Amino acid sequence: MTSVLEVRNVKKSYRMGKVQVPALRGVSFTVEEGEFVTIFGPSGSGKSTLLHLMGGLDKPDEGEIFIDGINILKLDEEKLAELRLTKIGFVFQFFNLLPRLTALRNVELPLTIAGVSEEETSARTRKTLSLVGLEARETHRPTELSGGEQQRVAIARALVTNPKIVLADEPTGNLDTKTGWEIVQLMKKLNKEKAQTFVVITHDPNVAETADRIIHLKDGAIEAIEKAPGGSS
Amino acid sequence: MKASKIFGMALDNLKQRKLRTSLTTLGVVIGITAIIGLAALGEGFRFGIKERMEQGFELRVLVVLPIGAAGTYGHFRLEEVEKIKKLEGVELVTPMNTITKMRIANKENTTLNVFTLGAVNFSEITQMIPERLTPIAGEIPSPEENDTIVLGYKTCYLNETAPLVHVGDNVTVLAQIDEPPYYVNKTFRVGAILGKSGVSAITNFDYWVFVPFNAVADFRKVDEYNVILVKVIDPENSEQVAKAVENVFENPYSISIIVPIAFMRQVDRILNFVQLFLLAIASISLLVAGIGIMNIMMVSVMERTREIGILKAIGAKSRTVLAMFLAEATLIGLLGGLIGIFTGYGLSYGLAYGLSNFMQPQQGRTALRNLEAQQALKITPMFSPEWTIIAFIFAIIICIIFGLYPARKAAKLNPVEALRYE
Repeated sequence: MTSVLEVRNVKKSYRMGKVQVPALRGVSFTVEEGEFVTIFGPSGSGKSTLLHLMGGLDKPDEGEIFIDGINILKLDEEKLAELRLTKIGFVFQFFNLLPRLTALRNVELPLTIAGVSEEETSARTRKTLSLVGLEARETHRPTELSGGEQQRVAIARALVTNPKIVLADEPTGNLDTKTGWEIVQLMKKLNKEKAQTFVVITHDPNVAETADRIIHLKDGAIEAIEKAPGGSS
Repeated sequence: MKASKIFGMALDNLKQRKLRTSLTTLGVVIGITAIIGLAALGEGFRFGIKERMEQGFELRVLVVLPIGAAGTYGHFRLEEVEKIKKLEGVELVTPMNTITKMRIANKENTTLNVFTLGAVNFSEITQMIPERLTPIAGEIPSPEENDTIVLGYKTCYLNETAPLVHVGDNVTVLAQIDEPPYYVNKTFRVGAILGKSGVSAITNFDYWVFVPFNAVADFRKVDEYNVILVKVIDPENSEQVAKAVENVFENPYSISIIVPIAFMRQVDRILNFVQLFLLAIASISLLVAGIGIMNIMMVSVMERTREIGILKAIGAKSRTVLAMFLAEATLIGLLGGLIGIFTGYGLSYGLAYGLSNFMQPQQGRTALRNLEAQQALKITPMFSPEWTIIAFIFAIIICIIFGLYPARKAAKLNPVEALRYE
């Protein structure tokens, strides 16, 4: 297996008024292709900061991050945007769908930005929507969909470009337990059937348990990396 | 991202906020309406004045005079006339002999109101200034009729109804010729009475009488003239033709040439200036519209911060975001410009109608009531393709310029902060 994501000694601190608050104090780990990894920790442990850095949305103060072998710190803003477009899929806690667009259009969006042809966009979008079980809801706008459905649309949007890695930030955080569980099962299914690499950030131990590996994060540092039962559930 | 998609999304965004979009667009519409309206009206006004002046100025007719002509005669010779006829850009040349010291009287010995007697070639002069030589009674005589005279309207009409003479009557011409000084006494038959011609640049033909050249042969040399009229093919070339006419003479300083289009160019310059001034004022309204667009777009960027964050997170480049917002500004400019062109022409017709009524002369209330200049100047707004295109492009450029700052602000948003924005 080759590593899709490699994080090397990453440090990041924020300025809060006059004090520097360290968010990450030197984090290193790798994620192999086809893995399902959860990053587990309480709030304030630096999970979201780590996700933003892995996703190329923010830059660390120190350390290096490789996505599919590319050192993303060496990329300018434009190349970074392209990397996000082609190699990374994001799933957010609050779904972050564009409210004006239908489910179909939301899923299409990355392909539209990439300038993919109409026919291919349409074919890939429909296929991905059926993968998340939402082919019947494609004309609905986010406000007409339940939370679980919205998160499915968001997952479809993340997958439609066939990214190397999907980064999910508390994907169940805004859902009830049952729906949240369904979303986790969907991601697990996609991981198994499509060998899609997932890195999921969560503070929910039940979600963390579903992974192949759990990275325990506390106060900006890795406490432990634990082999989990993974696909057994 | 494809341009068509960017514009499609921009259009969707504008449609989502219909009221806001219409109000923002209204600013552009008002600006363009003002510009187009004033431009169309100004063009129409210029055209009206130009037309007026063309009638009054015999725009194509250059008048060649000998310097110090007062009291002296015979400065131009036939060979000079012939040379001018051969010049490039010249359509027609006719010489004239004018006499101003004279008295013309009817049978009852009442003096007619004459300023100038012109000895002319009738067939040439009617081609030269046809509008001036339109009879209301009788006919313009053929050149052979040596004892026939043509009278200007006001030489015999002291009021509208009863002229001093009629066609067919005889009049007596008493003239004093200076070199050598002697007197002429000759009787002419009235061949025609001309219609009102009004003031022209050089004279008022209403107070002229015309006789054929041969009629004055016994007291003037037929091949010596004191005025040459030169009709140019294109009035725009008047100056070149005038220059060439000057070169016909050994001493160019011995003659003077009246170039009517020079007057008109001057008036045109003034009108042009006035029009530009009005347009500059109108453009201010478009600037105000631009500020409105900027204001609305700033609000829009704030409201859509999260959306911009999402777009950037899923891989939209900064310039894609920039293009999306600029596309919205461009669409507002396009739409506002398009509507403004129509409302602008509407406005110009409304204004033209109002102004034409306002400028209608009030009969009998001014001292100039008898002058033709009092005729109402009718303004018809003119569609000017250049101004339409300029205004349209101006609208779009203004929208883009004022949209640039908010669009850049959107493009530069940090995706992490934008995603956190509530």
